Amino acid sequence: MSRGTAERVVPTPLVAASHQRRFVLGDRIFRAMAYAAALLVMVIAVIFLIALVIPALPAITRFGLGFFATRTWDPVRNEFGALTPIYGTLVTSAIALLIAFPIGLGAALFLAEDARLRLLRGPLSFLIELLAGIPSVVIGLWAFFTLTPLMRNNVDPFLQHALGFLPLFRGTPSGYGFLTAGLVLAIMVLPIMIALSRDVIRAVPRELREASLALGATNAETIWSVILPYARVGITGAVLLSLGRALGETIAVTMVIGNTMQISTSLFATGYTLPSVIANEFTEANGTLYLGSLFYLGVVLVLITIAVNVLARLLIWRFSGSGRAMA
Amino acid sequence: MKRVLIALSVGASVLLAACGGTSVANNPSTGGPVAITPPAAALTGAGATFPGPFYDAARFAYNLKFSQVTVNYQAVGSGAGIQQLTKKLVDFGASDVPMNPTELTAAGGSDAVVQIASTLGTESLAYNLPGVSNGQLKLTPKTIAGIFLGTIKNWNDPALAADNSGVSLPNQAITVVHRSDGSGTTYIFTDYLSTVSSDWKSKVGKGKSVSWPVGQGASGNAAVATRITQTPGAIGYVELAYVLQTNMTQASLQNHDGQFVIPSPDGATAAASQFPAVSPTQFSIVDAPGQKSAPISGYSWLMLYKDQADKTKGTALVDYLDWLVTDGQSYATNVHYAKLPTNMVKADIISLKTVTSGGAALLPSNAPAPS
Repeated sequence: MSRGTAERVVPTPLVAASHQRRFVLGDRIFRAMAYAAALLVMVIAVIFLIALVIPALPAITRFGLGFFATRTWDPVRNEFGALTPIYGTLVTSAIALLIAFPIGLGAALFLAEDARLRLLRGPLSFLIELLAGIPSVVIGLWAFFTLTPLMRNNVDPFLQHALGFLPLFRGTPSGYGFLTAGLVLAIMVLPIMIALSRDVIRAVPRELREASLALGATNAETIWSVILPYARVGITGAVLLSLGRALGETIAVTMVIGNTMQISTSLFATGYTLPSVIANEFTEANGTLYLGSLFYLGVVLVLITIAVNVLARLLIWRFSGSGRAMA
Repeated sequence: MKRVLIALSVGASVLLAACGGTSVANNPSTGGPVAITPPAAALTGAGATFPGPFYDAARFAYNLKFSQVTVNYQAVGSGAGIQQLTKKLVDFGASDVPMNPTELTAAGGSDAVVQIASTLGTESLAYNLPGVSNGQLKLTPKTIAGIFLGTIKNWNDPALAADNSGVSLPNQAITVVHRSDGSGTTYIFTDYLSTVSSDWKSKVGKGKSVSWPVGQGASGNAAVATRITQTPGAIGYVELAYVLQTNMTQASLQNHDGQFVIPSPDGATAAASQFPAVSPTQFSIVDAPGQKSAPISGYSWLMLYKDQADKTKGTALVDYLDWLVTDGQSYATNVHYAKLPTNMVKADIISLKTVTSGGAALLPSNAPAPS
């Protein structure tokens, strides 16, 4: 519109005008394409949600919200509930974050802050990106053949010996189960955790660092009381993005979780996650209720993911409201 | 019209037989050879993973014989195979369990689909017990049900010791491994458990996926086999072919007659021959009587539409399936499946003869039958 006014106010030579008209036309076409692309994404999202809910309807009408609180998953009797795989999904993701958070943050601080090892930074960053690029099925294959025997013969017995008084580390370790799945997930979310935290920490203004050091604070004190508080919103974002990845990861978890419909306090016990149930059972799910229940699990997974995203947004809004925008 | 067509096709067949390069089999009614040459066509099928290796070997051999016919097979799982057939995305579907009434209704009614048994398989109970060699462990229906129900938890359980005098069973927890993906293998195994154990029938039941009382799941025969090999004290049901290919140790199973047998293709054939009246609605052959019968056996099925829209394709399809259930059976034993018993082959051919296109039967009425 302003362009139109400009055309009217400033008379331009004929050639220039035709140029401009062509430019306006190109501009319009480009705008239309951009709108169409944006609209297409929204339409796809809506169609996706509808396509997910419609096949789930038989199960939604049959089980209602009780689906979330039911432990049974019995395809023979057509009784389905999501509590067991929800539990497995949350527990494995929690383990993954508990392992990946300290390691990821430490690695990020090292990469962003330690200037002495500048030569190592490039190769390390490259390796981390490489780790992010490994397909999950390959990590799953490695975990299935290498990690599970290692867990069963070495790691699990050690944990049991050292921490066996906790219910978390009781039972017979088989190498499969919550702990192994959580560990595999930790490996998979580490690159996200490290890369995002590193960028956030690097974005902390130099003056703050220098001011802190000038006041006589040590490096550790600067990190602890200046850098981390400043970067916490961004780091929270990194954690939540990692959580999103962990919640939805399917194939690698399916290969090591043990695929047992049970809720157990022991981390050595085998369990099930939402994506694993869907991946395992959809090919032979006969009957609308059975297939509907698998779709319902999909709805539950999408809801959990949305909840995590909303939580991330809320946190970012809250903290950026107090003047430390970083997201 | 029909008679003319048949006469023509027979005439053509005889002519071609004289030229060579055709499949020849003995016709039991006339004693003379009958030959068929299928028309050029590309056939696609999808379904069960259990008989996948057999179908792959057979379609390759058929293509060598008749290069004008290519057969593709996607082992995507029985359920997916049935769905793809119902949507007419494939020319034939394959399933370890015949289509049930609901699935048939979705496909246009029980009269719309022809279901034939294609091969016969049997399952083993493979175990990982250091010091207990192949076939040394003896399991009865009672102990098998006990292990999978979780009432027998340790290898030194008195119930196991009673059947295994002379074998030193260790003091070790039993790890049950089962399939986590829906599968015909699971259906046949849980059908067996439901047949031999009323406890299992009332608590768990049979199905392609069930609510397992104990154990951990792995996706596919190969993953179950690997997990058993990795885990000392593990036991699981695995299709015989995988056990033989990977040299796993498998248990001797007590059959209906009280005999201990090591599962084998011959044991499956022996079990199948005990059920002459098997049909797509009465298909269970588990816990078969007979001295040699392997107790956990089952047929695998192929399904196609009775009315074939494309006559050329339909003709090639019925010829391929006719070959598969007769001469093609020799490829089953190579990959550790069992040959179909004669009565089943006859029933299959009778079913294939009902397949039509435009009202005319596609398989000649004097098509090869088992000699």
